[in-house]
Amino acid sequence: MSELRTPQAGDDQAPDIDVVALLMRQHGDIRNLFDEVEQSRGEERRDAFRRLVRLLAVHETAEEEVVHPFVRRAVEGGEQVVRDRLAEEKSAKETLAALDDMDTDDPKFMPRLMQLRTEVQEHARAEERYEFAHIRRSTDVTNLAAMAKAVKAAEAMAPTRPHPGVESATANVALGPVAALMDRTKDAVRKAMGKS
Amino acid sequence: MTFNPLEQRGIPLDRQLRSWRELNVQPIDPDRCDPYTRCRIITMNGIEVEAILFSHQLARNTADQEVKRQLARTRYIEAQQQKVVNWLLPGVSSVLETTIAYEQVAVDLTAWVARMEPDPYLKQAYQFGVLEDFDHLYRYANLYEMIEHRKAESIVDNLTEVMPGRPTRYHHRDPVDNVRDPYDKDATNPLSKLHALTILSAEQQTMNFYMNTGPTYVEPIARQLYQEIGLIEEEHVTHYESLVDPGETWWEQLVNHEYNECYLYYSFMEQESDPRVKSIWELHLNMELEHLHIACDLMRRHDGREPQEVLAPELPNVLTFEPNKQYLRELLDTQMDLTTLGAGYVREAHERFEKMQEQIHGGEAPPSDRVMTEHDEMFGREYRVQTEGEHPDPAQREK
Repeated sequence: MSELRTPQAGDDQAPDIDVVALLMRQHGDIRNLFDEVEQSRGEERRDAFRRLVRLLAVHETAEEEVVHPFVRRAVEGGEQVVRDRLAEEKSAKETLAALDDMDTDDPKFMPRLMQLRTEVQEHARAEERYEFAHIRRSTDVTNLAAMAKAVKAAEAMAPTRPHPGVESATANVALGPVAALMDRTKDAVRKAMGKS
Repeated sequence: MTFNPLEQRGIPLDRQLRSWRELNVQPIDPDRCDPYTRCRIITMNGIEVEAILFSHQLARNTADQEVKRQLARTRYIEAQQQKVVNWLLPGVSSVLETTIAYEQVAVDLTAWVARMEPDPYLKQAYQFGVLEDFDHLYRYANLYEMIEHRKAESIVDNLTEVMPGRPTRYHHRDPVDNVRDPYDKDATNPLSKLHALTILSAEQQTMNFYMNTGPTYVEPIARQLYQEIGLIEEEHVTHYESLVDPGETWWEQLVNHEYNECYLYYSFMEQESDPRVKSIWELHLNMELEHLHIACDLMRRHDGREPQEVLAPELPNVLTFEPNKQYLRELLDTQMDLTTLGAGYVREAHERFEKMQEQIHGGEAPPSDRVMTEHDEMFGREYRVQTEGEHPDPAQREK
């Protein structure tokens, strides 16, 4: 792999006025983190895995709060599309929870991680094909931008690279368990969407 | 080891039909596969698509109902082969990921053929073309990072470098300058016939792929880049198909097609790293041997000639997917500024070329330039993979 690092969505210079483009780039960011976990060892792997868990949690929560409700409401047959996605997410979350309790040096860790990678990738492509296409078709520019703003609010809940002056371990402690992070993300998204 | 397909018998045609269960192949894992396994799949898909289309054209030019029925039987099996081969590609890959793999095929397949081609005029045609596909890979790789935040090296895996070739904006030539002179069917090395058929099939498939999948993108720059490169792929099909001697009879062409399929399935069977895919190459080789046998009978009956007269006495060296980095760097160093004039090549931008350039660009930057500008706005840099050092052409080094 080259030394070039692709910055994560929100850290590049894209205008982020289209929620679909933003989420698609985030799908790539998640794959990049899977690669990073796989290619690192020891403490580095632990750190990469924490960042992966956080990004996955925040990304999925944002989609649950922003994308799925829209598809359910505005797209014909959206109910079924969302039901399928939620089933995939549930399965991925179970694998994630199992991994989260495991040490990254555990010999069972990598096979489980590879299973999660496959599930997440299939889920992401299904979203891109069956939900994102509908979103772009069913909404206007203003709405795409508003949704993008809400997703970015969610992202702010989980800085995926330690911010300057903050040690990653400290950030981990501050973020707490995944479930709590998801709750806080939900609140942030709802606030950004103008709901309480 | 020598292998003469004319002396082998394969699976009888009436035992080649596969059921849904057999057609339902397990796709490769795009993140774990050998990139050259994917290249072989894409190549063989292009070969099977050409086999099907050629057979349809032949049938449309055949009055004999019995021959039409014979062609239909073989063609249906070839359609099944195409399904099995192309369905090895996974649903989780995006169009852009498959596109980058197509360009890796175009680069490493054409470079290898250029290296092995015995005829200097034909060799030049491949050397000329490969520098254009090389640049397409670079442009699509930058688009890929913009849209999916992923790096093309996760697909090409450092087997193929990603950096500028002949800049895409210069690929738009007056159509008459895309027509080359054909080889002489009676004088040329039989290997040259196989090379021409292989590369024209690959480029034709690339043309079809871009012309159909380009509009599935929403992002304006993606739509426009596919349109631009799609048009160049049409130029490439013109370029490569004009190398083939039009004096070959329909039956001779049919025999060449079937022989080439044997050659390629045999080559890929010999080098395949994925055992499951290897068993497909082996099965298909055994089917093709029979298709070749049938084609040879048709040629004997309709042309009154022996196929041995037009074919090689034995299979040439296996066609191989392998890195061609140093070879490509030599070409980048020496052939960047070539364009075509009539059936030949020149270094100066001539009047007809300039006129075409003026008309198609309309005084604006083409999509292939704008993708780089937009990528730079997003990341403040370009995306390249230069595993062997700086670009050989100082003008193409990253600023």
